[in-house]
Amino acid sequence: MKRAALAFLLLLLTRPQAEASLRVVSLNLCTDQMLLLLAPGAAVGLSPLARDPSLSAMASEAAHVPLVAPSAEMVLRLHPDLVLTEPYGATATVAALHALGLKVVVLDDPTNFPQIRATIITLATLLDARARGAALIAAMDRTLAGLEHPADPRTAIVLEPRGLTAGPHSLAGSVLAAAGYRDAARSVWISLEGLIAHPPDLLVLPEAPGFPSLATRLLDDPALAVIARRPVPASWMICGTPFAAAAAQMIDR
Amino acid sequence: MKSVRWALPFLALLCLLSLLLGTSGFGVPMPVILWQLRLPRTLLALLVGGGLGISGAALQGALRNPLADPGLLGISGMAALGAVIAFYWGLAAGFAPALPLFGLLGAGLGAAALLLFAGRAPTGPALILAGIGLSAAAAALLAFALALAPNTYALAELTFWLLGGVADRTLADCLLAAPPILLGMLVLLRLGPNLDALTLGEETASTLGVPVASTLRLVALGTALAAGAAAALTGGVGFVGLIVPNLLRGWMGERPGTLLLPSLILGAALLLASDLLVRLSVLVLPLHAEPPLGVLTALIGAPFLVVIARRWGQ
Amino acid sequence: MGTVIGVTNLSLRLGGRSVLDRVDFSPARGQLTALAGPNGAGKSTLLKALCGLLPGLPQSDPRRVAYLAQGARASWGLTVEEIVSLGRIPHGDRAREPVARALALCGLAALAGQRIDRLSGGEARRAMLARVFATEPEAMLLDEPTADLDPAAAFAIMRILQETARAGRTVIVVLHAIELALRYADRLVVMDRGRIIGDGTPLTVLPAAASAFGLKFGQDGLPHLLPE
Repeated sequence: MKRAALAFLLLLLTRPQAEASLRVVSLNLCTDQMLLLLAPGAAVGLSPLARDPSLSAMASEAAHVPLVAPSAEMVLRLHPDLVLTEPYGATATVAALHALGLKVVVLDDPTNFPQIRATIITLATLLDARARGAALIAAMDRTLAGLEHPADPRTAIVLEPRGLTAGPHSLAGSVLAAAGYRDAARSVWISLEGLIAHPPDLLVLPEAPGFPSLATRLLDDPALAVIARRPVPASWMICGTPFAAAAAQMIDR
Repeated sequence: MKSVRWALPFLALLCLLSLLLGTSGFGVPMPVILWQLRLPRTLLALLVGGGLGISGAALQGALRNPLADPGLLGISGMAALGAVIAFYWGLAAGFAPALPLFGLLGAGLGAAALLLFAGRAPTGPALILAGIGLSAAAAALLAFALALAPNTYALAELTFWLLGGVADRTLADCLLAAPPILLGMLVLLRLGPNLDALTLGEETASTLGVPVASTLRLVALGTALAAGAAAALTGGVGFVGLIVPNLLRGWMGERPGTLLLPSLILGAALLLASDLLVRLSVLVLPLHAEPPLGVLTALIGAPFLVVIARRWGQ
Repeated sequence: MGTVIGVTNLSLRLGGRSVLDRVDFSPARGQLTALAGPNGAGKSTLLKALCGLLPGLPQSDPRRVAYLAQGARASWGLTVEEIVSLGRIPHGDRAREPVARALALCGLAALAGQRIDRLSGGEARRAMLARVFATEPEAMLLDEPTADLDPAAAFAIMRILQETARAGRTVIVVLHAIELALRYADRLVVMDRGRIIGDGTPLTVLPAAASAFGLKFGQDGLPHLLPE
């Protein structure tokens, strides 16, 4: 099941550590994971969410890296060469660091696989880890190539707690498409009535240990018992990382 | 006549502590942290606290109501809305000063709307009603903006920004905040005798030669400048404008004009002290991020309100 | 801006009602003029017209005309001295002698440091009156300065006003109580329903005053109710 994830982790073990002299701080959950995938030796600071297994697919790898709160003072004390983050979450801190002359790169979170590839290439260039980046992309592409793409795809919905779906142009939509499904979510929220009236062929449920699974209460209704369900690790669906390919693979079986 | 000269050394001490205390610890920090982060933070706290303090004193004097607060006029709400719009549309990501600039724009529009609603000859009640309407509109639009937040990080950041803070503000932020806040303070400081005359009511004040309508307009303008700019740069820091004049009233007497400058000074000191507590709490408590400044001022302010209420009851 | 502006042929409608109807009034220096009449007669309105508080009428010079509103009260607990010194605002100075004189005149020297919200009704009213004196105006317009006061306090205030008028100032007082006008006023102006129905010495105007209040004098010289 976690074949793809294992593949990525193997890369970490078999390849030598990346540039040790480069010091990089990540202020965002998604850039945390990308940094650990591409250049774990360069990480000198990660966001406070980096070690949360329900949110980060690289939680255990983050254990040896210090966590840094979104505060310009804390970041400056680590003397980084580069700060990575995404829009929102630390706007004032980013502005302050920028004003102080630090190199801050703000990346948009990728929501489809071409964007994930582009992000990997950009980061790999910044982190001087081009070879590793290429290997990550190759592994991801191999996983995606092995997935079925039926001519008449069945429908699926990624259902998060409280009836939320991720919406049509999100990462979840891309994952479903890669898995050979059509995303049946037409808006960001769906009601029980909506699910019963137009049931999808598959319900994808992001879940994690200790995560409040209010979604299951919604699904306890007997009218929905007939719909097939597939659980997926929540951390694979939050950020645009190669782990999204692993999620697509899990859904495809 | 009690003077506030004794408060100035105390304020200087707070400033010194503010330069030595930060999220990275207590002591003399790296020069870049000292001059580019701690100094602007200190200056901004003084500006914002002082602006809120004097706005509260002037408003309470003009409206003859000890419960008046700068937020009452709805201008801080409009400033927050302006900043949130810049934030939401990602303008702040490309050009950092966009956030406070849009906040100042929001405050300006709010002040114009307020004076328009209150009419050609604003009276106290007219101003209050107009302010409440503006506040409600701004709050509704803010809630709408939060509902449209692009992702959970944005929502969380917006929510925390609205709770107020002076963290990670730079010298550029101080340069943006200082002109409107200082101008607002100057406008309000000159209104002392007019506010004293208003003690006897708007009618009697006008027979004393005080231009009541233009006094109220100037109070609205001064508050818009001082409290509006404060909100544009630091979000929703509350309670300071309400509490400081009431504290001073019990100690210095109730003449509105005499409370203006002391409220400025005590407001500055109170906000800086609250921000010191914010930084201290990060050092001694296991927190991931600084608690919002607005939460601290509310926690400190609420017991003071109880004390003031009990004093009235006697 | 002059001193007290008299009004000539002034008619005023407020809220659809005729409040003043062709009123002619010019105040007299060195006299205490009482304005009397039943509720709604237009007395307060005429007083406000005289000091320029009504829209459309010229404002009087605040250094020379001082006004005490009906039921005037202070919104804050200022001390008596602070209240009285508000009277210097039109002059823009902090002169202390006029304030001290006003306090002495109104018998408040001992209470100067007290908060006005801790005084009795009569004392607080005298403090408000002293504020008017502190301006040292040529004319004083007072709207019911004796309302809600016990007789002793009311007499004390009327005595002060009478002496002030005799000293050369123009004093115009709106009164509800006819007997105070009879005792202290040099001139009585009676109004009813927006019109002046009597203007002269109190004794000559008394019958007109009585009829305005629904009374008439019987043969025995005592007031009786007018027959229906």
